[in-house]
Parts: sequence; structure tokens; C-alpha cells
Amino acid sequence: MATGDTFFDGFLDDYFAESEEHLTAAADALIRLDKSIGHPSAERAAVDDLFRYFHTLKAISAMVELRPAEQLAHHLEHYLRAVREGECTLTTAGSDALIEGTRRLEHIINAHRAKSPLPAIEDVLARIESLVGTHGERPAATSAVADATETGRRWTCRFVPTRELLAAGIGVDLVRKRLGEIGTIVEAAPHVLPDATISFQFTLLTADGIDVVERLGGIPLTVEAETPPAAEPAPAAEPAAVAGAPNAAISHVVRVDLARLDHLMQIVGDMVISRARLADSLSRVERYVPASEWRVVQENAIASDRQLRMLREGIMRVRMVPVGEIFRRMPLVVRDLARENGKRVNLELRGQATEIDKYLIERMMDPVLHLVRNAVSHGIEPPDVRIAHGKPPEGTITLSAAAVGDMVTLEVADDGYGVNEEAVVNKARQAGLSVPSGPLDAAAVLGLLCSPGFSTREETDRVSGRGVGMAVVKAMVEELSGTMALDTEAGHGTRFIIRLPVTLAITDALIGRVGAESFAIPQGSVREVIEIAEADVRQLEENEIVPYRDAALPIIRLSRLFGVESTARTGRLHVFVLGHGSAAMGIAVDRIVGQREIVVRTLADQLVRVDGVSGATDLGDGRVVLILDPAVLARLTNQRPRRVMPDAAAWGRLPANGR
Amino acid sequence: MQNILIVDDSPTIRKMVRASLQAIESVDFIEASTGLEAIEQLAVTRVQLIVLDLNMPDMHGIDVLRFVRRNAHYKSLPIVVLTTRGDETSRQTAKEAGATTYLTKPFAPQILAQAVRDLLDAAVEASPRA
Repeated sequence: MATGDTFFDGFLDDYFAESEEHLTAAADALIRLDKSIGHPSAERAAVDDLFRYFHTLKAISAMVELRPAEQLAHHLEHYLRAVREGECTLTTAGSDALIEGTRRLEHIINAHRAKSPLPAIEDVLARIESLVGTHGERPAATSAVADATETGRRWTCRFVPTRELLAAGIGVDLVRKRLGEIGTIVEAAPHVLPDATISFQFTLLTADGIDVVERLGGIPLTVEAETPPAAEPAPAAEPAAVAGAPNAAISHVVRVDLARLDHLMQIVGDMVISRARLADSLSRVERYVPASEWRVVQENAIASDRQLRMLREGIMRVRMVPVGEIFRRMPLVVRDLARENGKRVNLELRGQATEIDKYLIERMMDPVLHLVRNAVSHGIEPPDVRIAHGKPPEGTITLSAAAVGDMVTLEVADDGYGVNEEAVVNKARQAGLSVPSGPLDAAAVLGLLCSPGFSTREETDRVSGRGVGMAVVKAMVEELSGTMALDTEAGHGTRFIIRLPVTLAITDALIGRVGAESFAIPQGSVREVIEIAEADVRQLEENEIVPYRDAALPIIRLSRLFGVESTARTGRLHVFVLGHGSAAMGIAVDRIVGQREIVVRTLADQLVRVDGVSGATDLGDGRVVLILDPAVLARLTNQRPRRVMPDAAAWGRLPANGR
Repeated sequence: MQNILIVDDSPTIRKMVRASLQAIESVDFIEASTGLEAIEQLAVTRVQLIVLDLNMPDMHGIDVLRFVRRNAHYKSLPIVVLTTRGDETSRQTAKEAGATTYLTKPFAPQILAQAVRDLLDAAVEASPRA
């Protein structure tokens, strides 16, 4: 082979992606071809499209030296050329052979991708070869029919491309696309005007009563309506949609390797940091710049900020896939498991279209599967039990997803037993876990359910799914900077609520300061920011608590947690409130600096890892800022046994903070 | 800087052509995926060489060739026609329509690069300003 050794091997991914597109489009055209019997011009369009797909497949297969694919595509193309040139008629046998050939082509390419042996092609080649030169039962296409669509109005549109228009995204491609939406383009050709400028002339057919100029939406075209052809109410020979479809078959979907998006995201991340650095430098030179000049600089800085954010959001959107991908496997799992357990379960899916970062989808698949399995095997009662409790024999599991701002909520709910707190507590004690005394709230119960070692052996077999216990579910949610909550009512059901940030790489954070150190905390996990007086802090055993909404809120002082000297001398504390119920807690800092866009760099190195810190970021002034991990911080407070919090009346009797 | 216009409806092929020519000094690449787009690019940018595919959806490469050659301005613009193996019958047609060089896919990167280099050098020598 004359090509450059392995030079083009680096393009295999492009090859696979593009082949897939052509094969999909070809499958689509084959269906159109099948439906086009009796519509010669539709058949013609489908044949033309197929010809082009196979032609391109042949060319790119040749480039990557996938000889069988090239050969097969060549045969398919050859047959279509013969059909096109009237050398033979498209028969049912021919259309079957095209379908078989396309399928085999796909197998070859997939096999090459999987590095497995390629399927043989000799039989298909022979089959196609035998077709060329045969005239079959289908009537030959006559060119006269193609003109039958020419009813309605005829327009001539001229477009003169310029560099400026092209820079603004207005080019011949867009013009053609827009015109194709308005009517049927019967001719598109370039022309040279007398002054040597190049223009494109489109002949367009539209239905009566359509005003092309009005529909162009600002694209600069010279439009002339031709006198309508002699009014003959010719019935449309075939639906225009079929005739006008050829280009619609080319998919507008691009497949992108996730690694490339990661790379883009990383670049944007770097830009965010550079931008912050620039802002920092700007603030230092501000005093040297005349005010009039400064305003321009400032305006540009703001504009670039906004564009950067738009860029970041744009890339994030590209990474988003519908959460339905997680849901799709569930109906089958539920059906099988319900049958195995003698349950009757109806699965409801909601919000499948909710979009979430591809990275999160992949990681949430098993945890959600686990929750659903749990719901079937432990949540829903057997039919007789349900009937005895006055419930319909068929239980319902609802799997739903919803997006709220930068967060996505995934919920797995069942209308079964509900979590029995007493049973959980007993089981936890048996498992040797430390159990807080007194009544527990949902967050505490969930804490026990998710403790490593809570699940008994019988559960970690098949029912819970390859040993992915609740502890693993929780760990995964936390790893993704999410939170999990439990809502349950005895006899009525259970609901697990998982909240996740839509994306991980860049996030909005609130920046707090303790002494000379800054800390960032993801904004999505902060419920509220409050300010309290030092004097209001009470000591309860080893915890410091502050009054908060008629209850008490345990707080952690970052100064103590990280051994940084606090420099706050105002007698007031600034507290980030995180979490709900008994998992609610406050993080106290000297002052709150503001809100920033931060680029999350995870601290993967075990030697550097610190509990309560999920990563680090650079605010642009060169200093590294630690990103706090709310989930772990919450656990740090929960590890200490907690009594029931005092009510308002008891508040005054607690000792004021010793100082 | 010299501009090379790469015309092919396959993004993979465009990328391969680009990669093959990457080593040529001081050239820039412009891409077009259809014949009409190719002509549009010609109209708005100064192009020193075209690498042209023949089989394209809207306007056949041969028609692009004919259109370009009809325009006095582009009489001597070097055009490398790059078409697929098995279409050799079009070689004669392409020559007649004004192709400067004719290569088939699969092409060897170094052969394409050499052809392009030769044509660019020849154009520079032919130019009175050189």
C-alpha cells in the first residue's frame, strides 16, 4: 500500500465517528428508499444520498487501510451508480442486498474497532455483483416526474458572500440551509457578476403565499419572485417533504470523545484562573491609569468575564447527557427482581430529559441501581401484606430527576414499609456501631444505614447488587460533592434524595477567610450565611452551638479545625450554614470575602489529603485556597455523639462559651 | 503566508490532508465541505492552492474546477484533485476541466505534500514579484 505506514492510524477515532454517521444516515436512506416505491424522485434522492455515503465510506476506509470495508463500499457504490445511470433497475432483491451490504459494512468497521477478526464479504460482493446489469420488476425512474413538484411559486435568490458576512457566520451554507427550510431548492450555482464578484444563485420553489424575504430573518439576499407558472392546479405528485429530505439525512449530531471535552474544560479552567490573575493585576495598576482609560479597561474586563462564563457554560452544556441513560436499565431490573421476590411493582420514571454531566452519569449508575434494588427487595411489601394494610397490591417505585440551578436532584421513592427506626437502631447495635441515644431524625437514621458494616451478609449478595452497600452509595455521592437525604414515614414509604452539582470542574464558591488563610466552599452546599455574636455561642459537651431558627446549630471553627490563628476581633462570627435536620451544621470563619468562580483541582495524593478538604484552587492572586468538603465536615461533627438539642427555654441555662 | 483551501465533504479526509501538509512552511489552511463553500472561500480569501475532492453533495468537484477556470483571475491557480480509487475514469475529465495534479485516495502523505510543495514553488517562480 502506498500510504504512509502508520501515519493515518492516529485518525482512527475520526474514522469510526464519521463512519458511524454515514452508516446511520445510510440506514435512514434505505428506509426512505423502501418507502419510495412509486415515487421516482424520492427514490432518486435516496439513491443519490446512499451513493454519496458509500462513496465517502469507501474513501475514508481506503485511507485507514481497512480494505474489506473499502471493497464492500465500492461494490455498493458501483451498484447504485448503475441504478442512477439507468444501467439497471432497483429491484426488491437490490434493496435487500443494499441493506445486507450496509449491515455487513457496519460489522466490518465495528470488528476493526474491537480488533476482532473481520467478517467475510465474498457472499455479499457476489450478491451485489449479480444485480448489476439486471432489470427487475420496479418501473424505471423517469426524469419527467421530477418536474411535477414545480407548483407554487418560483423564486430566484442571489447571495454575494463577503469576508464580513462569513465572519458573522453568514455563508452560503447557512443561506442554503435557510432557503431549504422555506422551500425546495431546485438549483444552486455560483455566478460571476460583471464586476468579477462571485455570487450564488438559488432557484427556490415555495408553496403559494409564502414570502421568502420575510422569512429570511436578516440574511442579505436579493430575492426576485418569478411570475407563477401558468395556473394549473396540478396536484402535488408526491409530498415535498420526501423530495426535499436528502440533506436532512446527514445528522447534525457530532460525537465527541469525552477526553477532548475534558481537555477543553481544563483550558477554560486555566482561563478562569488567568482571568482572576488579570483582575488581580488590574486592581494593582488601577491607580496609575487615568479614570477615562480605566473605564474602558474595566468594561472590557467585564465583557471578557461574561464571555468566559458563557464559554464555560457552553462547554458544560456539551458535556450534558439526559439522565434517562441511568433510568433506561431500571424497568428490566425491577421486573426481574420483583418476580424473584414475589412482589408486584410498578416503576414510574420522571424527568428523564434532565441533563447531567456525562461524568456523573457514569458514576451514578450503580448507586441508583442499588437504591432501586433496595426499594424492590426491602421497600415494597409483598402483595398480601399490602392488601392487609389497605394498600393496592402493586407497589410503586418512582425514579425521578430534576434540575435546580447548578444542582441536580435524583430521587428514588417507594410506597412501601418505610424505614423502621427501631429495627435500624437494633441492627446497628448488633453490628457494633455506635448509636446516638434518644429519638433519631431522618438524617441520623440515614447515617446509620450508610455506615460501613451496617449491611448484613445476606444483603451484600445479589439483592444489593455486587456488594454495593449503602455505604458505597453514600461514598460515591460524597465523592461527587453531592449530598444524600432520607425522607421516610412508617407504613407509607421511603424516599432517598440525592443532590449533585451538575458539573464538577468549575463551580461557584463562597470564599471565607480565617486569619491569613482563605477557604472556598461550594455555593451549592451552602444553605445560608449568618452572622452571630461570639456571646451567643454556647458550649454543649464537646460541641459549640449557636441559636439558629428556634433550634441549635453545632458549629465548627475553621480556625480550630485547621490550626489557623483567627484574627477576628469584632466579637462576631460569620457562619456558613450547611445541611438539613440533624445533619445541619455551621462553619465559622472570621469574615466572608465574597463569591467567586473556582476551578476545582482535586487533591488525589493520599499524603496531601486532609479530612474536610476536597481540593484546592487558585484565586488568581497566586495563593492556593483549600476547598472545603461539606459532606466530610458534617461527618466530623456527627462523629461526636450528640444529645437532643436543647429547646429555646433551656438555652439560657447553657454555659456561655468559656473565654 | 500562503492559504491552502482543502475541499472535501469528509471531515476525516480534510483532517488527514491538513496533517499531511502540516510540515510545509508558512501555509495556512482553509476548509470547505461542499463545492459552494469552496467557491465562497475563493471569493472572500486569497487562496494560493486548492486540494479538491470530486464527489461532493451539492456541486461536483468537476463543476468547481470548471467554474474556477472560467474565471480569468484563477486561470493559473494550482488545483490538486484528490479523488477516490476506482474513479480513475474521472482523471481525464478532471484534466480537461483544469486540474493541475491528480492524486487518488488513499494517498501517501509525503506524496501529497511533495506535490503541493512543488506547485507552490512553481507558482512563486512564475510570479513576477518573486
